[in-house]
Amino acid sequence: MYSKILCSFLVISVLFAGCKKDLPVDEDGLLITGRAECYVGNFELLGSDFVTVRSKAAVIDTVAQTINVEVLFGTDLKNVYPQFSLASDCKLEPKIVGKQDFSDLANPKTFTVVSGNRLVRKPYKVIVKF
Amino acid sequence: MYPLLINRFYALLIISFTCLIASCKKEEYAIPDPVSELTNDCIKRTLGPNIATMPIEFAYAMALPKSKGKIISAQVEASIAGGTGTYLEHNSYFTNPSGQDVPVRVGTPSVNDGLTTKVNFNVDTNAATLRYYYTIPEEARGKTVTFTFSSTASDGSSASYKMGPYTISKMDIKRNLAVSNGNAAYVSIEDMAVYNNTTAPANAAKIDLVYLFRATPTTFLHALVSPAADAQYLPGVTLPAGVNRSTKLRKVFNLQDYNLARINVGLYIEDRDFQEINLADAPNYAIALRAEAGTWIQTTDNKYRAYIYLNSVNANGSAVISMLRYAL
Repeated sequence: MYSKILCSFLVISVLFAGCKKDLPVDEDGLLITGRAECYVGNFELLGSDFVTVRSKAAVIDTVAQTINVEVLFGTDLKNVYPQFSLASDCKLEPKIVGKQDFSDLANPKTFTVVSGNRLVRKPYKVIVKF
Repeated sequence: MYPLLINRFYALLIISFTCLIASCKKEEYAIPDPVSELTNDCIKRTLGPNIATMPIEFAYAMALPKSKGKIISAQVEASIAGGTGTYLEHNSYFTNPSGQDVPVRVGTPSVNDGLTTKVNFNVDTNAATLRYYYTIPEEARGKTVTFTFSSTASDGSSASYKMGPYTISKMDIKRNLAVSNGNAAYVSIEDMAVYNNTTAPANAAKIDLVYLFRATPTTFLHALVSPAADAQYLPGVTLPAGVNRSTKLRKVFNLQDYNLARINVGLYIEDRDFQEINLADAPNYAIALRAEAGTWIQTTDNKYRAYIYLNSVNANGSAVISMLRYAL
């Protein structure tokens, strides 16, 4: 009978051990992976009505780390929502939590892409023009 | 000793599980008692905010056993007298196999007497469902209103059903205002009206927006622009003297308030939306508007917030707009 009880404890212990996380997570609770890719794949800019304000596709230069985006006449740049498509497992800093102000055309905003392994950081400058 | 303890432990475990499963058992359905007296029920058919000048619709049902007699009358008492157009329908409805509501006349047209609206039955029936349309009067704005539905039967019995309280919105509504480029182009939020070149000068101080249409650039098209906006957003426009307000606007798409658009049931703008929206950093123009788009608006004197919805637009430079307005 003792052996049965012992067996039960062993099974439960193994079950608990099976739930243990293997990979570390960062301060945002995101998985830190082995990927070193770090780039912006696509960029979108939406107006307050959540309709694009781009007049043509954004030009992303992954070497110069710039995003050039041309917007429609009359765009209210104080209230726009940028959207970044990043390489797998990357994250963006600062986080975009709502509308952003891109109206200061002389001082483009910079967003940093952080790779999946959190070791590579690439700042991208978003240059907006009419 | 130990085997005995373990056996007891397992027995206890099994009993616990049995109890748990037993406690999850559904209660048997019991057939309700048949109705033995005059009974009634009511539902509110109108959804969304209750806006002054618009109706609230109810369906009031009443029935008693055939052996007990027939229905004599039905009435509704509102806590605030309804506006013009308030009535209790003297038809009862049933739904036919095609899903259509078919009316059956059961009484004389309703009579409004102060707070009360009454229908006297003139057919021998022991069950009916009457629709009640309460036109929200101006004096109910911002208040609450309650309703007491009641019915009487030939055996002397009566039944009543209370509905509410319902809060009446502070919003105003105006639908289907035609605007056109260069003529009926001056929109006043304060008056909830559109002025043309002739009437605009006399109402210059109340004009908040100018409607204009420009085919080029193609990103301009239909626009609502503050008179005080940058000249590039008012190309070729000569404003009447005194038209100079700077109204804040924020474009919205897919906000098809049912009361304005009358499509997509279930989407409503309420007082709270106007109370909470922050237009402090909104521009004073909205260009490239399309049908079914809208704009949130705040007047320059901060007296009103509004929502203007474009019901339809025409490529010849005209549109039909509807608006909701909230006094701050």
